[in-house]
Amino acid sequence: MNRFFPLVAVCFLSACSAVTTIDEYRVNNSAMELNSNESVVILGRRDAGHYDTDREFIGCVADKMQGADISIMPEQQFVDAIYPWFEPRTAPKGLARLKRLMQDTTIKAEIDRQHIRYLVWLDGSTESHGQSGSMSCGAAPGIAGCFGFAQWDKSSTYEAIIWDLRNLSEKGRLQVDSQGTSYLIGIVAPIPLLSPVKDDACKSLGDQLLQFFSNPDSTG
Amino acid sequence: MQTKTIKLIASVFVLIALVGCSSSAQVQITAGFPAVISQPKNSSATLVFSDEFRQFVAKPNKDTTIDMGSAQVALLTNAFKGLFSTVEIVSAADQASLKQGLVITPSVQEVQLSTPSDTYLNVYEVWIKYSLDIKTAEGEQIDTWFMPAYGKTPDSFMLSRTSAIDEATVIALRDAGAKLLLDFYRIPSVNNWLRTQPVKESGDE
Repeated sequence: MNRFFPLVAVCFLSACSAVTTIDEYRVNNSAMELNSNESVVILGRRDAGHYDTDREFIGCVADKMQGADISIMPEQQFVDAIYPWFEPRTAPKGLARLKRLMQDTTIKAEIDRQHIRYLVWLDGSTESHGQSGSMSCGAAPGIAGCFGFAQWDKSSTYEAIIWDLRNLSEKGRLQVDSQGTSYLIGIVAPIPLLSPVKDDACKSLGDQLLQFFSNPDSTG
Repeated sequence: MQTKTIKLIASVFVLIALVGCSSSAQVQITAGFPAVISQPKNSSATLVFSDEFRQFVAKPNKDTTIDMGSAQVALLTNAFKGLFSTVEIVSAADQASLKQGLVITPSVQEVQLSTPSDTYLNVYEVWIKYSLDIKTAEGEQIDTWFMPAYGKTPDSFMLSRTSAIDEATVIALRDAGAKLLLDFYRIPSVNNWLRTQPVKESGDE
């Protein structure tokens, strides 16, 4: 009987894993140049009406890159330093607008002063859908518990676009799609089995972004 | 005696619970705003911040007040310093000492708030509608420009009503600064006025 417990546990845990797909486009295969005094800024798109690229996700990707000794300037610090040109209303949506912005000597001087070399735009969201099942909880003197089963799907879709502020060019694009199903099992106590969809998307995107800054031939 | 103490403690708990559940919010905006990155035109402006504007408290609904007077004064002062090389701030138009340039009197037309309970969206949103009365130093009316600004929280998860409204208002005020920097010199009448101004040497007042 005891032999089955690990098997059941493995089945449960594997059911909660996320499936993540990454699409990558690079302008060329060489590693992106980044001097030790230069920084990268990871920014979230905030101009869509129905969602904001969440700050938690941006912080997660920034942490992944910072761990690899790449200098990351915090998003809010950059937005404040260059105020008001990266507010939701004014942030450049394309390279043409960025080029026009950088023609302003005051803005260019501030970006140079801050040693910001690359901008990574993140755009996307994590959504829950396909909820089904039900769970009932109750309490009475001396007894309390939950019974039932609920499940829901989660999907994270994020796109990263890398801009080089020195050459005012696009260096590449990444798209990550991560999907998984989470479960909540009520056997006296509610047992959540959550699929780490957003964490997986963050880790995959962070790892892939790092490869832009390291030689692909050396990383295999 | 013991029963009395228990009743007192229970009353305090009930009171705390009721206060905690109330949906009113008194928000005071204390956030600072970053300096604008902009090359100001070699021109001057007098900003008229009336006492009403300086102490403005918005009341978007019966349960909410937003004390945004000092924040909007700081924001607009900062933004106009990015537009004009010389900025004078007065409390009434007749106190202006600059003999040239524009006299700009901002006022708040309306502040609107939407909360998750209104829209079933997981965000708080704030709209501020400013009106800028723009005259020349000689008193000639140039324009009255309506300037809408908008701010919303990324989501309302784990945010109290007060801090969510504060955050949305700060974003709306920052948006007002962005709108001003982006569009002020695009107002046709202001642009026309600017063209008629003699070109001043840098540092010439």
